[in-house]
Amino acid sequence: MLYLSLVLVFILSYSFYFYGKKRALSLKFKKNENLSSLPDYYGYYVVLLVFFPAIIIWFFLLIFKSNFQEMFVMSPVLFPDVATWSSGKFGLVMNKISNLSMIVNLSEIDLTVGDKSILKMASESEIIAAKNLANFDKIYGWSNLTLFIILPVLLGFLATKSISGKLNAQPIVEKIISYVIKGSSYIAIFITFGIFFSLVFEAINFFRYVNFIDFFFNTAWNPNRAFVINASEGFDQEALKEAFGFVPLLTGTLLIASVAMLVAVPLGLLTAIYLAEYASSKVRDIAKPIIEILAGIPTVVYGFFAALSLAPFIKDVGEGVGLPVSAESALAAGLAMGVMIIPFVSSLSDDVIKAVPQSLREGSYAIGATKSETIKKVILPAALAGIMGSFLLAISRAIGETMIVVMAASLRANLTFNPLEPATTITTQIVTSLIGDVEFDNPKTLVAFALGLTLFVMTLILNIAAITIVKKYREKYE
Amino acid sequence: MVDQNSNYALQTSEVYVHYGKKMAINNVALNFPKNEVTSLIGPSGCGKSTFLRCLNRMNDVIDICNVKGKFLLNGNVDIYSPDIQVETLREKVGMVFQKPNPFPKTIYENVAYGPKIHGIASSQNELDEIVKDSLHRAGLYEEVKDRMDDIATGLSGGQQQRLCIARAIAIRPEIILMDEPCSALDPIATAKIEDLINELKENYTIIIVTHSMSQASRVSSKTAFFHLGNLVEYGETGKIFTKPDKEQTNDYITGRFG
Repeated sequence: MLYLSLVLVFILSYSFYFYGKKRALSLKFKKNENLSSLPDYYGYYVVLLVFFPAIIIWFFLLIFKSNFQEMFVMSPVLFPDVATWSSGKFGLVMNKISNLSMIVNLSEIDLTVGDKSILKMASESEIIAAKNLANFDKIYGWSNLTLFIILPVLLGFLATKSISGKLNAQPIVEKIISYVIKGSSYIAIFITFGIFFSLVFEAINFFRYVNFIDFFFNTAWNPNRAFVINASEGFDQEALKEAFGFVPLLTGTLLIASVAMLVAVPLGLLTAIYLAEYASSKVRDIAKPIIEILAGIPTVVYGFFAALSLAPFIKDVGEGVGLPVSAESALAAGLAMGVMIIPFVSSLSDDVIKAVPQSLREGSYAIGATKSETIKKVILPAALAGIMGSFLLAISRAIGETMIVVMAASLRANLTFNPLEPATTITTQIVTSLIGDVEFDNPKTLVAFALGLTLFVMTLILNIAAITIVKKYREKYE
Repeated sequence: MVDQNSNYALQTSEVYVHYGKKMAINNVALNFPKNEVTSLIGPSGCGKSTFLRCLNRMNDVIDICNVKGKFLLNGNVDIYSPDIQVETLREKVGMVFQKPNPFPKTIYENVAYGPKIHGIASSQNELDEIVKDSLHRAGLYEEVKDRMDDIATGLSGGQQQRLCIARAIAIRPEIILMDEPCSALDPIATAKIEDLINELKENYTIIIVTHSMSQASRVSSKTAFFHLGNLVEYGETGKIFTKPDKEQTNDYITGRFG
């Protein structure tokens, strides 16, 4: 019902566009009034005056539905002393009534023995309240629907009535629209801040248990200790010190991201040079979208690929040449991740190389430079900042990547720089710490937020650096 | 058609250029005397820039452009012969473009770029000398001598264009092609470039495409008038601008079309 009334609001307010415009035109042609704005704006004016009050009231009714429900059910008519109840008693009664409401409308035959005894225990006014509750949705829905037929029509007629030649509708409409546009962009900004602060608050909770310095500088990562110790006597501070050492996660993340960059940078950059400078436009038009598909493959598929094909292959090859390779090597995860981020490097670098003005190429050719000299000495230096920007974006993608490493990397924190050994990453540990039945007052769970915050800050810095570099590059040619 | 007279820096004949199926140059023959300035004039789209770009094979980079004809450098080198490396040709035939296009490098690096590629200097000192000398000849040295390590894109438009001329003469070409070199510049910068052209013709053969007829009459001794891909008239600049043989030329220079 509530959603039907939303549809009504849209339809009714839109139909008033025609009514408002018609009214404005009739003023112009039948009464020879001079209109201050174009006729369309009178239509928009009416629409906005109908739509916004109606939609605000609609949201209000949606959000506060449960409050209305309580007011309706726990009315002072039925419970004269309700205002004096404690919130505990209020909750208990409300609970009882909502249980009652499920059986109150059943016929005598359908009631079980238990039901009957519950009904017997209830007071008269409680049963009436339960019946009210059972009917509430229907009543609320219908009254809503009625309201949203009457309200828009009323508003529409009032607004249309207020139209006169002197009314300058255009600035009013534009002002309202500008607020809407502004509001939309602020929503995105507020959400970003909301995410950031929700991370910050939970991370602060974590740092109540674990010292800041211990977290960032300890080299041992054994989060399960915190789980075991939480028997009943609280946390052993000394043991917590040893449980959450961030360093091996950082090195693991950097190790896997480095392997990924070692794959993506050369392959991506050479691809970009080929596409931008050597490929015919036909090849480029086909090849570029195909390469970009790599970035669109779900990362879980790369995860399969890394865990089931790449890792065993690397293990076999490694053992063939006598190297001890772990089944969950950082190398396998890094390689798969590297393939995934190739398009980030190739596509962006291709764009910046293409953006180097043709006049620079011709200038270099005219001096008698060959194509390869021109690329090496003029084009790549000119595009360098943009290319660097693409690298940084790829790194931040690699650091934040989760699914591939969850599937292909190890869970065991291992302080190593050897890509043949297993390593774990920040994102993997965030996932594992939030899996299972752990309460949100346990540092094992809360550490996810501290890790998330650290990751957020790391990628934020990389992204800001990338954007600054790319911007600087653009300014050079515009 | 092509005589072996070595007074010509460049001789061309039976030149046809097509862009795809569209004809851009139709049977043009033109000879360029040594150490003189020749202007190519004509309305937009008449093929004068296309013709100019044939002379150092800059049209090679355009896929759909098809050039036919005879081009002889110094009376004996066929510049479109398969034996000729295009890079060596461009070492001898330099080019300055319509819009100044300095590389986003330092002023020094811009001028040193060509000599480094072609291995002209045997030592760093010699390279410094070449850079200094080229900037001198382009009339830019005094203005930039204290900021050789600044990025060239920070120079003014006129300075950038003179830098591009310095860059072109740093590899000691025999011929300099100029494609409307002043069209992006103000009158003062234009006057400087024109003075420069007058000085440079002592040592170089210059071929300049221009939209300004007064510029053609100021800087050049020979003028060729192009229209719709045809060479309409060629002769002494003074004669073309005072007593042209063809009515079409007369109409153009008196401003009746184009």
